Parts: sequence; C-alpha cells; structure tokens
Amino acid sequence: MHKSVLARRMLVVPVALALLYPLYGLFAPVGTWEWHGHQAFASLKVSFLLTLIALLVVVAIGTPLAWSLKGASHRERTVLDAVILLSVLMPPLALGLLLALAFGPETALGRLLLALNIPTSNSAPAFVVTQIYTSLGYYVIGATAAFEAVPADLEQSAALLGLRPWQVFVRVTLPLARLGLAGAMSLAWVRALGEFGAIMVTSYYPHGMPVQLWVNLQDSGLPAVLPLLVLFLAAALPLPWILHLRMRRQHYA
Amino acid sequence: MLDCRIIKYREDFTVDITLRVAPGEALGIFGGSAAGKSTVLSCLAGTETADAGHIQWVAERWFPPPRPLHARRLGYLSQKERLFPHLTVRDNVLFSLDRHARAAARPWIRELCERLSLDALWDKPATTLSGGQARRAALARTLCRKPPLLLLDEPFTGLDRPLAREVMGALGDWQRRLGFTLLVVDHDPAVIRALCDSAVVVQQGHIVQSGAAGALRGEDEKQPRTD
Repeated sequence: MHKSVLARRMLVVPVALALLYPLYGLFAPVGTWEWHGHQAFASLKVSFLLTLIALLVVVAIGTPLAWSLKGASHRERTVLDAVILLSVLMPPLALGLLLALAFGPETALGRLLLALNIPTSNSAPAFVVTQIYTSLGYYVIGATAAFEAVPADLEQSAALLGLRPWQVFVRVTLPLARLGLAGAMSLAWVRALGEFGAIMVTSYYPHGMPVQLWVNLQDSGLPAVLPLLVLFLAAALPLPWILHLRMRRQHYA
Repeated sequence: MLDCRIIKYREDFTVDITLRVAPGEALGIFGGSAAGKSTVLSCLAGTETADAGHIQWVAERWFPPPRPLHARRLGYLSQKERLFPHLTVRDNVLFSLDRHARAAARPWIRELCERLSLDALWDKPATTLSGGQARRAALARTLCRKPPLLLLDEPFTGLDRPLAREVMGALGDWQRRLGFTLLVVDHDPAVIRALCDSAVVVQQGHIVQSGAAGALRGEDEKQPRTD
C-alpha cells in the first residue's frame, strides 16, 4: 500500500470510528426498554406533520429568494447574507426566547394575532413558525449555492433558444440544481425536525419528538428514552443521509 | 436588414465595429485571435452588452436598451457548445420546439440529423459526446427553429476536415434555401470563403478591410486582396 494512502487511512479510520461511537450508546445496559407507544406515535405525528408544513413554507419562500439572489447586486447580497447568517448563527434557546417575546402579548403583533384567535405559544402555529425560523436560513444558503452552481451560460443558451426566464428556470436551472436543492431541503428538514431549544420555549405543547424525548428522560429515565430515540433516528435520518451521499457522489464524479 | 454599431471598451483596445448586412446575406468576420470578432457576435446575441452603439434587426431595436435574450429571433453558436448536460442529444436539439412544433418540423429535424451525422448519437446523453459530436449537436439545436439570423463563432472547431467540409456544404445549402442572414466569425479564411458572400477583416477591434469573401486570403496564403 502506498505510504500516503496508509497515512490517510490511519487518520480517517480513528476519526470515523470516533464519529460512529455515539451510536454504541443504543446498546448501553440501561435496563429493560420501556415502550410508551401512544406517546411515541403522537409525538412522531406532531413532529412529522408540522415539520412537513414548515418545510413546505420554507421551500415556497426560500426557493424564489435564493434564485433571485443570483442577479442581486453586491450590496443587496451583503445585506441579505448578513440577515440570513444572523438567523443561522442565533443560539436556538435565544431564538426561542426572542420569538416568544416578539410574538407574545407584549408586542402589537402578538396582541393582533391573539385577537385573531391565533395562539402564539404552545400551539401548532407556534411550533411551525419556530421551525420556519430555525430552518429557513439553512435552506436559503443551500439553495443559493445550488443555483449558483448552474452555469450562467447554459441559462443564456436556453434564453437564446426563445425561452422566457420562468421557462429557463423550470427546464434548465431547476433540473441542474435539483440535487443541491434536495440537499438544502434535507438539511432544513433535519434542522426543523430536531429543533429542541427554541421549541421548548415557544411550543412545549404539543410535544414533538425532541421534547417527548426530554419528557421521557425526566419522567422515566433512559429505558423510556431509547426506544423513542431509535424511532426518531429511523424516521429522521435515512432520507437526508441518502440525499447528501448522492450529492457528494455526484460532486466527486 | 441588420444594422449595427458595436462599441465595447476592453482593457487593451476598444472594439468599434459597424456592420450593415442585407437580408439573406452571408457575411464573414475574419481576423486573428483576440481581435474582437467574437465580441461582435456576443453583443448581437446579448450575452455581452455593448457599451455604446446600436443594434437594429429589421424593425426591432435590440440595443439600446438591451432587448431580452429570448426576444431576439436569432440562432447563436458560440465557441462553447453549451449543451444541456441533463438532456440527451435529441432533447438538446429539440429543446426550442414544443410538441406541436416538433410534429410539424419532423422532416427538417430528419434532415438536420442526417446531414450532421447525429443518428447514432440521438439518444446519447449530452455529457458523453466528444468535442466534434457536441459541436454538431449544438449546431443542430441552433438551426432547429430556423432562425432568420444565424451567428456562428468558429463553427467547425473540433470537426475533422472531411466532416467539416460536409457540414460546410450543408450550411451553404440551407442558407441558400432558407434565406437566413448569416454572420460567421472564423480565423480560417477557407471557412469564410466557403460560407460567405462578403467579408470584413478585423484587427484590434476595428474593420481594416472589407470586400468579397472570395478574395479573402489568410496570412499563410497570399496577401489579402480585399479592398
């Protein structure tokens, strides 16, 4: 074996093993697992349904925004980048507190929403809005990179063949950016589905899976957490994992 | 009638070229590398924007202000093929035609396919083509919707001589038959003589000679006889 290959493997294998090691925690001897089926499926339903709604909103807002950034001036781009980065870098707990305050009864918007019978905490709308705030920035960053990776000269070629801008988008930009967009979607999905800190503050009820895991840990300990954790991982990880692997393979091809 | 003056400021010199091309005429733009020939075509196509001047095609003003690319009724084969990598050769060639137009254009597509030797490549992904194959597919895509104005930038790059001669013959036939206005940029005078009625010689962004294409000679041929 070539020396450089050997050196790389000596570095890669321990790091890979260290990254996979936390999964060994599933086999930790914590006693007999306790399965609370009703709670588990209820939290799974809440998480999946509300995350799906949040993701649809994120994609509906984020896709045109990311596309429009392609033609933005340097100044516009810098301003929007700064705003998006702020939302991405905000610590989740801080974001949750700020959302609770900004949409709470202390503000005019919060009072208006409450007057319209839209509950701004401990409700499905609060859950979805929090997820949108936590994942939109990730989606926009990923989608912008995906659109920027589409060569502009291909879009020009399509326009020169008589296609209007929206047709160029549908027939050239979107197909060429699809894997990058799927990657951005999967990142937003995982980010929204796994959100705990902000959701804890804004929407403790209805329990999504992360909050339910926390409740089980507090009430019954690890034996009640592990089965729900397995369900959570099995439900949340495979799709984004496969999508990202496909993206990477295409990138390296 | 194409009536244009393209002024484009570049670091080393300014391109300032005026052209008047009659409908159905074939004009060659000849010159060495980086003389500003391709800039003229890309400004006409709209992929670059001229800094000053004007572009008038028949009754349409293309510049100023810049007309959107999709509203310029032309075919443009640039030096890069720019085939859509997610499509097959067939889908690239037929890209500009909707379902009804495809049905109506079937004999024309058949002819393009035969004369540009695309039959064997028809269902192949665009990413698998060689340079010459991609060039022929890109030419077919450009011609597919029979543009009234055709801009070709070094159209035979990557084609071997016999094939280039064949494609040149086909282009000449189509130009006579369909009557499109043709602008060809090349540094090979033989290409311009074969395809064009008249020619201009461009140096450092300016036309230094103009005349009949048949009289055009390259540096390695005789002294230019255009006047």
